[in-house]
Amino acid sequence: MLPKRFDQARPFATLGVILLVWLLLPLVLKTFARATFFAIQAPLIVADSYVQDLQTFWSNRLHSKDELLKAGKDLAGLISQYEFSVQQNKALDAEISRLENLLKLPSMPAFRYEPARVARRDFSGWWQRLIIRKGENYGLPVGAPVVFAGGVVGRVVEVHRYTAVVDLITSPTFRVAATVSGDNKPISYQGGLNDAFSSPRGTVEFVPLDISASKAAPRRLVTSGLGGIFPPGLAIGDITLLEPSTDGLFKTGEVALDPRLGSLTEVTVLVPLNPEQL
Amino acid sequence: MRKHDPRWLIVTAANLLLWWLVGLTNHYVADAGVHFYVGGLFVVYSALRLDRKHGLIAIVLTGLLVDAVEPVPYGTSLLLLGLVHATLLYGRQRFPREGAVFGIVVALLANLFLVIALSFLLVGANPRPGSAWLRVFSDLLASQLLLLVITPWFLALQDRAMELAAIHPGTGRRVSL
Repeated sequence: MLPKRFDQARPFATLGVILLVWLLLPLVLKTFARATFFAIQAPLIVADSYVQDLQTFWSNRLHSKDELLKAGKDLAGLISQYEFSVQQNKALDAEISRLENLLKLPSMPAFRYEPARVARRDFSGWWQRLIIRKGENYGLPVGAPVVFAGGVVGRVVEVHRYTAVVDLITSPTFRVAATVSGDNKPISYQGGLNDAFSSPRGTVEFVPLDISASKAAPRRLVTSGLGGIFPPGLAIGDITLLEPSTDGLFKTGEVALDPRLGSLTEVTVLVPLNPEQL
Repeated sequence: MRKHDPRWLIVTAANLLLWWLVGLTNHYVADAGVHFYVGGLFVVYSALRLDRKHGLIAIVLTGLLVDAVEPVPYGTSLLLLGLVHATLLYGRQRFPREGAVFGIVVALLANLFLVIALSFLLVGANPRPGSAWLRVFSDLLASQLLLLVITPWFLALQDRAMELAAIHPGTGRRVSL
């Protein structure tokens, strides 16, 4: 029979053995285990999203014909506006290609647009992530940029069979090279200021001293297209505060992000046509 | 004893259900800047009512399930939940294990430890750690309030599931319905 003192400490000894086995386990087995345990939960994660879609479908079915006719009329007006914009975009694309050929410039990164429904939002003080309802089955790669009508949403960090995980622009682990709109000097953006009961904010570093911004006169922050997969010119947010950094060589500040990021239901993944761009 | 003892499976399934429900709540309150974490509740039933073996299996599986969807090194929750479980097993003979009130106290303390441990691991990446800690504490407060409400329900749910399976959680013996 084991001594009483050892018997009391047995839970810790057992835990120690389990952790030792876990540490010695090959990485490939851990990766497999993680993917398996994620796959077990994936149907649960997306189930409520599908139920909500069904709910929306049936609530839309309850609209009267008059309401649908009115909505159709409004939609027809919007479609004609968008058709005109599409024509303008085609003309601008042709002009860009002509100038690229003329000046022998490297071509801009080309993307395929993959819209995806948001299945789960997970916003804590530790991380800020979304799970979307498309993954390997739609050819989404790790690292692909994710956008919405208001600008940048984040970056794909994990791709599973039918789902993908997006690290949000508000997450402390998200960094991107940016510029102030109308300027070409690079700035570093990082997410992470997510106070309770308030809109998300991010931080900027290495802002040149000649740039100023305040709450009364904010400056638009956009992606620079440097050193990453994000195409240039995508909106990140508005710089609302800038103050000199401790070394006095640059400024640091805060960026007010789009409050709609907290309630996203649909996003678009920019899938590079050339995978080497990732 | 039964040939097929499903106690670990019942507790793991209950933990998975709780994890899903809390995830769903977090999805809908994301816009308000609040996040609930109830990891402390996973260990209460396993440590206080189940026997060592089945409790440990349930905790290991729960830890791996939780880690699979969180951006932490794989095995972090396994380690933290395992540590809390082992500590509770070490002292459980000295405490009243049956009551819901003691379950609430254990859940609150375990959750406090888990949130602080995870925060020490994760807050370092934040550009302003002070602001991040404020958010962590406001989330912790909300989580503890939620735990106060749901712990009796969750313990009763697991007790009821054991009754439906006609099995005693501590011994694994068949009990009459």
